[in-house]
Amino acid sequence: MLTRRSLLRLAALAPLVPLAAPRRVSAQAPDAEWKKVIEAARKEGKVVVYNGAVGTPALPKVLAAFEGKYGIRTELLEARASELRERIRTEQAAGKVLGDVSHNGSTITALQLADGTFVPYGTLPNAGRPVAPFKADGTRVPIYVIQYGILVNTDMVKPGEEPKSWKDLLHPRWKGKILSDDMRALGGGAVFFMVTTQRFGKEFHEKLAEQQPHMNRELRGNYPRVARGEYPVYAPFTLPDSLDLKGLPVKALLPEEGSPYVRFDGAIFKGAPRPNAARLLLDFFLSDESQLLYGNLGFVMTVGGLEGKVSGEARAIAQAKLLGTTDPKLQDEMLKLAKSIYK
Amino acid sequence: MTTRLALAGLVALLLFLTAYPLAMLVYGSLHTTPPGEAGSFNLDGYRAMLSYGNARVLLNTIGLSLVKTVLAMSLALFLAWIVARTDTPYRDTLEVLITLPFYIPPILTAMAWGMLATPKGGLINLAWTGLTGSREPLVNIYSYGGVVWHMMQYSTPFLFLLVVGAFKSMDPALEESSRMSGASSWTTFRRVTLGLMLPVTTSAFILSFIRGVESFESALIFGSPAGIEVITTEIYHLIHHVNKPDYPQATALALGIMVLMFGLVAWQWQLLGGRSFFTVTGKGYTPRVARLGRWRWVTFGFCILFFVVTVVLPVSQLVVGSFFKFFGFYRMSMLTVDHYAAVWQNRLVWRALGNTLLLGLVGATATMLLGAIVAYVLVRTRVGVRPLIEVLAWLPWMMPGMVLGVGFLWAYALMPGPVQLYGTLWALLVAYVSLGTPLAVRTMAGAFSQLALDLEECSRVHGAAWWTTFRRILLALAWPAFAVGWILIFFIILRELSVSILLYSVGNEVLAVVVMRMWTEGKAGQVSVIALVMLALVFLFRFGERKLVRTHLGWS
Repeated sequence: MLTRRSLLRLAALAPLVPLAAPRRVSAQAPDAEWKKVIEAARKEGKVVVYNGAVGTPALPKVLAAFEGKYGIRTELLEARASELRERIRTEQAAGKVLGDVSHNGSTITALQLADGTFVPYGTLPNAGRPVAPFKADGTRVPIYVIQYGILVNTDMVKPGEEPKSWKDLLHPRWKGKILSDDMRALGGGAVFFMVTTQRFGKEFHEKLAEQQPHMNRELRGNYPRVARGEYPVYAPFTLPDSLDLKGLPVKALLPEEGSPYVRFDGAIFKGAPRPNAARLLLDFFLSDESQLLYGNLGFVMTVGGLEGKVSGEARAIAQAKLLGTTDPKLQDEMLKLAKSIYK
Repeated sequence: MTTRLALAGLVALLLFLTAYPLAMLVYGSLHTTPPGEAGSFNLDGYRAMLSYGNARVLLNTIGLSLVKTVLAMSLALFLAWIVARTDTPYRDTLEVLITLPFYIPPILTAMAWGMLATPKGGLINLAWTGLTGSREPLVNIYSYGGVVWHMMQYSTPFLFLLVVGAFKSMDPALEESSRMSGASSWTTFRRVTLGLMLPVTTSAFILSFIRGVESFESALIFGSPAGIEVITTEIYHLIHHVNKPDYPQATALALGIMVLMFGLVAWQWQLLGGRSFFTVTGKGYTPRVARLGRWRWVTFGFCILFFVVTVVLPVSQLVVGSFFKFFGFYRMSMLTVDHYAAVWQNRLVWRALGNTLLLGLVGATATMLLGAIVAYVLVRTRVGVRPLIEVLAWLPWMMPGMVLGVGFLWAYALMPGPVQLYGTLWALLVAYVSLGTPLAVRTMAGAFSQLALDLEECSRVHGAAWWTTFRRILLALAWPAFAVGWILIFFIILRELSVSILLYSVGNEVLAVVVMRMWTEGKAGQVSVIALVMLALVFLFRFGERKLVRTHLGWS
């Protein structure tokens, strides 16, 4: 559980870079051209989203708000990044694309962009709203940022033993006791691997591998396992998920070096059967309504000027110090390295 | 001419259902890139298959299935002996209770045992800690033992169903002769009863072993988290849990396991020698019932214990899990009905339920009709293509669901022409029909072989077309077998996961996939609610099936 002490620790750290220079760009009233898009989207009647943030409560809330505003039904297919990448690739190869919008990590989105998976979204009224360093690039829109920390079981980990640094995970007391998202496949584990390898060198992971971490792909299924005491430590932990674990004997920690983070992007699939609804949804992701839903769930918003409307607890999570993010050009090389270290 | 066209159509359909996905597997194992991408051909997939890691996976697969089968067979034989050959009270009721787990989708019992026997927070371990104060768990479902235990939940009643009929139909004269010659009850049981049962038990053993090799849910849920992989989960991980799907290795593994299955099925056929393993003599005898005295209440208690462990415990866990916010934290402050509300409002769940029921109803009907037609050709005609039809109809028997799923994935992705199955509910339906065809053919072949030819000839002589004769004479007379086969295939579709998880698409989800997904998302509470809904359906259908069997078929 996110305690007051840890909230204060988070708040005391350097503020998140994007929030350093908030610049509010108001949502624009729809012009005639955009009204035609809305009308066409309504005729399409539905939009299908392929979501790599498996189990997160944020996106269903955003989609419900979208449905409420436009009356367009949404469908969601959730799977890990690697599975989604293969699914849409097979659909496009078979000429039967079922999904319209991708909602996935920036690393996999960049890889898919290079594969030619997406099409430009054209004009979006809200495309200019993301603040630096975030920017919609004509094909991808930056929706929010996830940061990663460590989750510990407070019954098993005494305050004096809590990892204060990522390197504290190398302490012998954690041997065989670390649960982790699989670093050998695309996802949070891969983000953690790449960022910490770039910052601490591969020796960090060679030593971490000697700790025999238990890796799987169950993501949110792992949190209750830590809470129940099967493992005292889980890393990397999606910090915003701490808001869902109230009442459980767990605590989210942010190591002093900062948190690895990944941006979540939206994009339209090539061959999407409902391109207008897809454009409308992409634009909605950058609206005040959607951004505040993400913000109040602890995610870093990409649109500035809304921080004052976010709850204190969620804002504290979003203001965590950042360690770094992934470079898509290095992804394949890093996954290969991870597989060689974590056999 | 019409007959030739009809046969050609049947062969074409069977080729599509079985040979086409198999051909795609072979193609995929040699092709360097995923379906739809330009690439070349090589043997890299087979080279990758021959690794130490895969050897360990194969050893796990065979070892787990062997241990499971030995244990399940021992238990099933004992239970069948109790029900069929002793004076244990309420044997009819016990028979129903013992077979109940067979109808429960394995994914549901997996969720329940995942909550019951997880080392920390599982109800069994919490009770153990409460009773003894020990901090070490009594059981850990995430282990080799856990995988075997879960596989036995389904295998034991399955084997029981196969052997109990043989126990009932056995001629008691040989046993009586043995006793009269001075042999003890135990010696008679061991050397005469079991000896007579050897053909049945051997073929049932092999069948159960084959099913164990194909198993997916148990290994995926209890094995993978503990680093225990079997062939089916390895194939799944190679496609979905790596950066780039390793189709060559996955399809090479799939073909490798088919070779293993072919050997086992051939061995089974050789042992059967053409006989059915459902009866020993085919004649009805009054079995000699052993008088157990006071021990009959012990055997009664044992059967009830089996039912409690395999049905009551998991169902109770699901009920408990549905009312607490987080499983493993059973405090008053955690009581909630939010999971029920969430499931009620979840469109995906209700759509998946509708899809599953539709696929079950249509799939079972289509499979049994196809099976009946194939069985007719095999049993009641002398056409030259019978061997080809027989091979094609039996091919899916050697293809585990995961293997069939990979084959159809490639088949649909590369399917030429205007008719596209990929991403449709038909994609799942076709795969299910393929999966169920061997069972349907076997069921109807047995029924048709008992019908005299003159009934059919009489109908034809009176001017009835083939289809009218087939429908109104043959199917009508074989209706009991058709009904039983239909019910079995309906339940197989209801619980099917390994094909579904590869072929489902948005809008075409089935309940087993939804349950699996929600479990990995940590939504154990909602999973419990959905599981209870599915169980209610299963019990409803089972009750309806028994009523049908008793009322309309006159069986007890």
